[in-house]
Amino acid sequence: MIEPSCYERSNDFMPNRLSAKSKEETEEVFEPSKATQLYIVWRKLRRSELAVVGFGIVLAVSIVALVAPVIAPYGTGMVGRSRRPPSVEHWFGTDAAGRDMLTLVLYGARISLYVGLAAVFLNVMIGLAIGMVAGYFGGAIDEVLMRITDVILSLPELPLLIVTVTFFETRSIHVIVLVMGLIGWPFMARVVRGEFLAIREAAYVEAARSMGASSWRIIIRHILPNMFSTIIVIASMDIPWYILYEATLTFLGFGDPLSNSWGVLVQKGYLYLTSAWWMITFPGVALFFTSMGFNLFGDGLRDALDIRTRGR
Amino acid sequence: MTLRTYVIRRLILIVPTFFFISMFVFALIHLAPGDPVLAMVRRNPPPPEVMAQIRRELGLDQPVYTQYLIWVGKVLRGDLGFSYVSYRPVWTMISEKVWNTLELMLVAEVVSVAIAIVLGVIAAVKHYSITDALCSLGALVGYSMPNFWMALMAILIFSMQLGWFPRYGMLTQGVTFATPFHALLDHLKHLVLPTAILVLGWTAYLFRMVRSSMLEVLRQDYITTARAKGLRERVVIYKHALRNALLPVVTYEAYSIGFLLGGAAVIENIFGWPGLGRLMVEQAGVRDYTTVMGLSMIIALMVLLANLCADIAYAVIDPRIRYD
Repeated sequence: MIEPSCYERSNDFMPNRLSAKSKEETEEVFEPSKATQLYIVWRKLRRSELAVVGFGIVLAVSIVALVAPVIAPYGTGMVGRSRRPPSVEHWFGTDAAGRDMLTLVLYGARISLYVGLAAVFLNVMIGLAIGMVAGYFGGAIDEVLMRITDVILSLPELPLLIVTVTFFETRSIHVIVLVMGLIGWPFMARVVRGEFLAIREAAYVEAARSMGASSWRIIIRHILPNMFSTIIVIASMDIPWYILYEATLTFLGFGDPLSNSWGVLVQKGYLYLTSAWWMITFPGVALFFTSMGFNLFGDGLRDALDIRTRGR
Repeated sequence: MTLRTYVIRRLILIVPTFFFISMFVFALIHLAPGDPVLAMVRRNPPPPEVMAQIRRELGLDQPVYTQYLIWVGKVLRGDLGFSYVSYRPVWTMISEKVWNTLELMLVAEVVSVAIAIVLGVIAAVKHYSITDALCSLGALVGYSMPNFWMALMAILIFSMQLGWFPRYGMLTQGVTFATPFHALLDHLKHLVLPTAILVLGWTAYLFRMVRSSMLEVLRQDYITTARAKGLRERVVIYKHALRNALLPVVTYEAYSIGFLLGGAAVIENIFGWPGLGRLMVEQAGVRDYTTVMGLSMIIALMVLLANLCADIAYAVIDPRIRYD
């Protein structure tokens, strides 16, 4: 997006100095007590307005998800007449069952966030395990694991999700998440393996080894922490994907119709496309903003941590 | 090595990959819970003896690897199997729909590539300008918006409210057209909305790719050199920069054919476009394993061929690339 050069922006938080110093140098000198990794990343992130907007949206959606029962104007049951347009009592109107759309959209944030976070968490865990095993053992194990990875990566994700989801008799939202976790890990595994192989050759790993550190210690203390930034960036960029995948799957009829996720709301609104536009519009807008927030945040994080990723 | 031997070698390499993919999908489909015979006769389950008979006839009582070998043997003879859910050969079902999907995808692809390259170059050249900001914002909206929702909104606005475009199918049903030209016109009208949605989403990704790739190339020394030689800016940008900037875009393009197929599946379902994606969703919905297996193979083949094309295009565009 519009990235202001660090040159002009460093003026902002250092008004009384000449901004001739490089940004790394500035951070070291400036407020060293606060110079934790997190703080440094945050300060880099803050340079891009769009990333901050993204972070704000993500934060807002998370808060809504947490306090939905408190801020929702009604319960999730029937509270009024069926399919009323937006009004003072029902800002987003009511759905076919006479439920308040605003309440449903607020509650929907819980499901969408759960899907995004849980699916990506599973991906990271499986991807880490497989990538590390492949990178550590190498040889035949590496060959087999990477072959499987390539096979899944070469298949289009959405059709693969559809095919896999159909095998489950009960399609609760957790099953959907599980399938996403099982299908989505290959890219992460490939990245982890690559990073593992690169970091393994680093001088500090050699130093640790020469000091007699065990393999486990090297992996846990030296290799793993250095992969974190890459993993976090890819994970944050994948979250909106899984939120949208869940909505798409649900819309196509492969979701959990009882979950009241935004996808379910859109699907139900589809039946009344002509007569009740609000039923389909508001959950869709919520989906759109959430995914935009995560995208902006992920882009900002990638720039702040200076990670090269594939553009999906 | 010449380009020809390179292409032949790559074609041969496709074979083992294809086998791996078919093994994977076959295992996925056949090891999954759920009884295909039960799915087949769901409406009217016959007595258990008959079920066992059907199972024996379909070879479902054999171990999975035997079933796989039987399946491969049939596929090598050009037989993708018979769907007992639709009571039609799988190949017939696929072949009558494959062109519809290809039409949708190709039109969307060509239009989005054209738009993305033009806008991407402009945005990169005028970095930090208003144009750049607007294009980037548009791209952000394009890739954040759920595809299916965008399609529904388009239907709501352009076919329900304004009545500009038909909302369903490939041709208006029950109308006899005066000339083939009228039929074509009617078909094109049906094509507009589905492709427009695909293009919107797809252009957004490609644009980001072209723009960032272009920005990176414009920083290179050889661009400065080209300018220092006194070349006109047009030549610098289109001959020196764009050609190099397109390299990663080409790879990305091929990689994402699967992604485009997924998008097409959604769009086909919403707009009632009789293509492969719609077939996939319908048959997966009724657990038609034979058709799903055949479809997966066709899709995998399309992806592999697209990758091959990208590699060849890569070699043609970039003379630095050796074929070994």
